[in-house]
Amino acid sequence: MVGVEELLEILRKAVIDGDCERACSVTRELVEKGVEPDVIVREALEPAMRVVGELFESEEYFIPEVLLSAEAFKKSFEVVRERLLKKSFRRLGRIAIGTVRGDIHELGKNLVATMLTVAGFEVIDLGVDVAPEDFVKAVRDYGVDAIGLSALMTSTMVEQRVVIEELERRGLRDCVKVVVGGAVVNEEWARSIGADGYARDAFEAVHVFKKLLGVE
Amino acid sequence: MVVPRLSVLSREEVETIHEYALNILEEKGFLIKHRGLIERLLEAGLCVEGGRARFPRDLVIKCLEKAPKTITIYSRDGEQVFRVGGDNTFFNPGSAATKILDLGGTEPRDPVLRDLWDFALVVDALDELCFQSTALVPMDAPIETRDFIRLYPILMVSSKPIVTGAFEKDGVPRMLEILSVFSDQSVKPIAVFDLCPSPPLSLSEIASQNIIDLAENMVPIEIIPMPQIGATAPVTILGSLIQHHAEALACITIAQIIRSGAPVIYGGSPTVFDMRYGTTAIASPESLLLTTLYIEVAKYFNLPTHAYMGLSDSKEIDYQAGLETGWGVLIALLKSVNIVSGPGMIEFENTQSLEKLVIDAEAISEARSFVRELLFDQEHLAYSVILEAIDKGNYLTHKHTIKYMRKELTHPKIIDRMDRGRWIKKGKLDIRRRAREKVKKILEQHKPNLPPPDLARDLKQVINNLCKQYGYSIS
Repeated sequence: MVGVEELLEILRKAVIDGDCERACSVTRELVEKGVEPDVIVREALEPAMRVVGELFESEEYFIPEVLLSAEAFKKSFEVVRERLLKKSFRRLGRIAIGTVRGDIHELGKNLVATMLTVAGFEVIDLGVDVAPEDFVKAVRDYGVDAIGLSALMTSTMVEQRVVIEELERRGLRDCVKVVVGGAVVNEEWARSIGADGYARDAFEAVHVFKKLLGVE
Repeated sequence: MVVPRLSVLSREEVETIHEYALNILEEKGFLIKHRGLIERLLEAGLCVEGGRARFPRDLVIKCLEKAPKTITIYSRDGEQVFRVGGDNTFFNPGSAATKILDLGGTEPRDPVLRDLWDFALVVDALDELCFQSTALVPMDAPIETRDFIRLYPILMVSSKPIVTGAFEKDGVPRMLEILSVFSDQSVKPIAVFDLCPSPPLSLSEIASQNIIDLAENMVPIEIIPMPQIGATAPVTILGSLIQHHAEALACITIAQIIRSGAPVIYGGSPTVFDMRYGTTAIASPESLLLTTLYIEVAKYFNLPTHAYMGLSDSKEIDYQAGLETGWGVLIALLKSVNIVSGPGMIEFENTQSLEKLVIDAEAISEARSFVRELLFDQEHLAYSVILEAIDKGNYLTHKHTIKYMRKELTHPKIIDRMDRGRWIKKGKLDIRRRAREKVKKILEQHKPNLPPPDLARDLKQVINNLCKQYGYSIS
């Protein structure tokens, strides 16, 4: 018989190793053993992703390895998600995130979504090629605290401004914080279009959202 | 006569790559996000499912044969003729920089339209740069005008042909209208247009519309697959080569379906996806090797070629910039790449610098000197000269030396070969400062090659007509 502590350790290792299948099965095993979902998240999933973040910062881990770990985290998190929500697990805030219209690049956006979840936010992923109206809809219908706009190309970054303009037009701009990101985006651009924040990568994004929502 | 060359793949190896690329196009196909183009492909007998067009291999092979082997491009005034193909190499500055590094500057800034006037003037003055390019994206112009408005300053100061590209769906017709002030672009094209498929194996709506407009008008298309090795293409060089080739084949085939004989140039912009930073390194050894290989594949089919070489991922004009640019231009010449885009550029093709452009021009000149024709005749073997001079102990005043010293030997102006004493006396200038002096001199002294007044007037009118709906005009 493997004990709970040992299983949590195996789960941490599986997430760090990016072993999605193993992480999910261990998570299920823990749930069956009656371990509280928030314990699984707090004691295994979140610390594992923090280690992954550190390994990435020190250039020991490469982006593909971070992506595999993020996937293992995400799938394991989904196993406990329902139970967490039922127990009204405290989240730091609700964030809608998407890649802007005309842009289908999702790597960076997915990683940001995962890291925000890791940090304790509830994340609504709107997907790629998201029209400005759909961002507006998310703000109106889901009562999100912030939105994240991703754009990889110089030709689509202008869409980030369109979303902000659309929010203004509907009188919703003051209801949410807007953070922009993507390979071609920088601080200066974020300022010029009236975004509240800019994040260089997924790890920085966590800090930016936390700061903007006053939960740091 | 011999010329230094670089050769990697055997015939069989090229054919293996080609076979796999044909298989991919036949089995998996090419994702196309444009209704009109899909309809054209259906008419041509392609099978389209879920937006993916599958290319029968016989059709691809037939279309490959229809593509012209040499493409002729003209100067603005029609006087100069450039044959793109064979062993010719024409360099032009790296295009569409979103930043410019000022003379002596440390922080790149947003380029404005005014910068492009100076830039084009310097390109006009540098013989090593045969073509202009729409090198800077003017951030002070409305975003919808930024592709076509770049043509204006260039056409006003220089007659050199232009390497360019559209950013918008209706970009090509607008830009052709501008270029047509000088000549019928279907007959005497003065520009080449870049066309980029999106890896892996798809064509965006904008690129689809662009390829239709370009092929229909028989305007030269530079097809530029952009595999990011390890991210949007396989991590192995040969795997990426197969994907690169499949994307190029698909675009060549599409162009020929739209109009048989459409002029296409087989190009590319491979990069390495840096696994640590998520950046796309364009001057990495892997990018250069992949470029070398796709050029070989293209030349196997006798197609005109293009590559991004002679640029750097460095943030500054430093040792790294020199290293990466240097081997880029040397390999480009060793491979006889027909159109080479890159000079002037640093920071992954984002930042243009006039100082670097001037240094790069000299790098090209030095590399050309290396990739030279070696004539095996009596004059060059110099056997009798050796016999005559041996007793004297040197060759300095021999008439053979006097005759050939300016022809055989390079005398660089920016590259430093002075003795230390002279170098100190001349102000101890580093290479960037030496380049800066040259840029300043060109800007002060070089006369723009203006178009005739009536054409200049027409050009301005066409541009302002196109700008009107965006509340913008040029004075």
